[in-house]
Amino acid sequence: MSKAIEIEDFSYGYSDGTAALSGITLSVEHGQKLALIGPNGAGKSTLLLAMAGFAKGTGKVLVDGLEMNRKNLKKIRTCLGSCLENPDDQLFMPTLFDDVAFGPLNMGMAPEQVKLRVADALQTVGLAGMADKAPHHLSAGQKRAAAIATILAMRPKIITLDEPDGSLDPRNRNNLIKLLVNLPQTLIIATCNMDFAAALADRAVLLDKGQIIADGDAKKIMSDSKLMTEHGLEVAKKMK
Amino acid sequence: MHHAHIDKFAYQDSAIHRLDSRVKAIVVLVFTAVVISLPRTSPSILACYAIGPFAILVWARIPLRFVFKQILLVSPFVLVLALSCPLYDKTPVTLNFGPFHWRSSLGWLRCFVILGKFTVTMLALIGLVSTTRFNHLLAGLQRLRVPRLLVIQLGFLYRYIFVLIDRAHHILRARAGRKLRHLGFRAELRTAASMLGSLFIRSIDTAEHISTAMQARGFDGRWRTLSKLKIRRSDVLFALIAALFMLGLHVFVRPVLP
Repeated sequence: MSKAIEIEDFSYGYSDGTAALSGITLSVEHGQKLALIGPNGAGKSTLLLAMAGFAKGTGKVLVDGLEMNRKNLKKIRTCLGSCLENPDDQLFMPTLFDDVAFGPLNMGMAPEQVKLRVADALQTVGLAGMADKAPHHLSAGQKRAAAIATILAMRPKIITLDEPDGSLDPRNRNNLIKLLVNLPQTLIIATCNMDFAAALADRAVLLDKGQIIADGDAKKIMSDSKLMTEHGLEVAKKMK
Repeated sequence: MHHAHIDKFAYQDSAIHRLDSRVKAIVVLVFTAVVISLPRTSPSILACYAIGPFAILVWARIPLRFVFKQILLVSPFVLVLALSCPLYDKTPVTLNFGPFHWRSSLGWLRCFVILGKFTVTMLALIGLVSTTRFNHLLAGLQRLRVPRLLVIQLGFLYRYIFVLIDRAHHILRARAGRKLRHLGFRAELRTAASMLGSLFIRSIDTAEHISTAMQARGFDGRWRTLSKLKIRRSDVLFALIAALFMLGLHVFVRPVLP
């Protein structure tokens, strides 16, 4: 059976010559909850973009067994849902309903099926009954949940989330953890919040300066205070 | 941050709110064309035309204070145009209001007519926006075969104008927090240019992120939405009443040219 993600010797550089990622080799099993940890500018977001085919570099990227190329791009983006860092970028339609329906409609689903998917996704993230709301009328926590709903409605096998806990208060962060921990999909979460990562992930990949520094059991990596401090991170509170 | 949204009353419920957005949009478009094409006429005739949108605003329970505030917000552009009329056209005219006569210039008459037409058409436009949810309006425009690109851009404008305003406020606040003395005109101008540049670059960034989010959800250039519009008997009745109102004014209220 194919793996959720297989990346082999992947490198990516910005147009000014700065190397964002170099020699990344990574494989993620289906159903795994992986935390991509690392300081700011480590290359976490770029790696997530590479998984969705937005950062084209050298090396090999396979998503659910499909090689990243122009021909497979549509299939890849159907099975891998990307949730961007800023929910305002993710929610671009006039209403929540239209936003959540955007993906399923582009997948060619029938209107009745789309409506069911939207209702189901909003129910899952706790926003049932808010379909007619405009995204700019939502709170920060609701926007984050709505951004996840836009992905859930497409029922992807793999979900990537870029700093999903950013600008959330503790209550909303806990709600988000409860939501994500119960999702059956493969989750790849880029974050520099160790408490958040520790609450969700069973595996951690530490990235710094575009390279993988450590890869293994989340608890083991995130409780290594020397490793964490060396790379500008901290040990999660519950691991101290 | 809280914003006074232009469509904040569009979420109310009334017979006007429930009308199909396409019917409302067409009526407002025709009404605007009729009002604009009125010849140089006395402002009193424009007052007759104002009855229609005024009745709709009252029926839909849109606070008139809000309406006039919105008109005032966009009036500076028209005010400049209108107030320049008396400067270049001083041909004397006499206006008759029943037993009253007023000697003025054609420039002033033009000024009042421009302001009158602006107010009446704005009443209709605010009536449309305040009684129609923006997504329904966009769906209506799309069904009326307004170019898709224009509809998409309108949607983005509505969605992101407030994000942009928020960012501008943040930049202004950051500047105010560090500007501890008067910098002089040139330095102020330079700062303003940098601020605008920063806003522009961040807007481009946002546009790129939105494009990423759209492509990640399968966008291939075709805009797909689930339109929930349906023409009912009340829509036909509204269109008929609006047509009769405009036709009646056209036939019975004749403009008197000075």
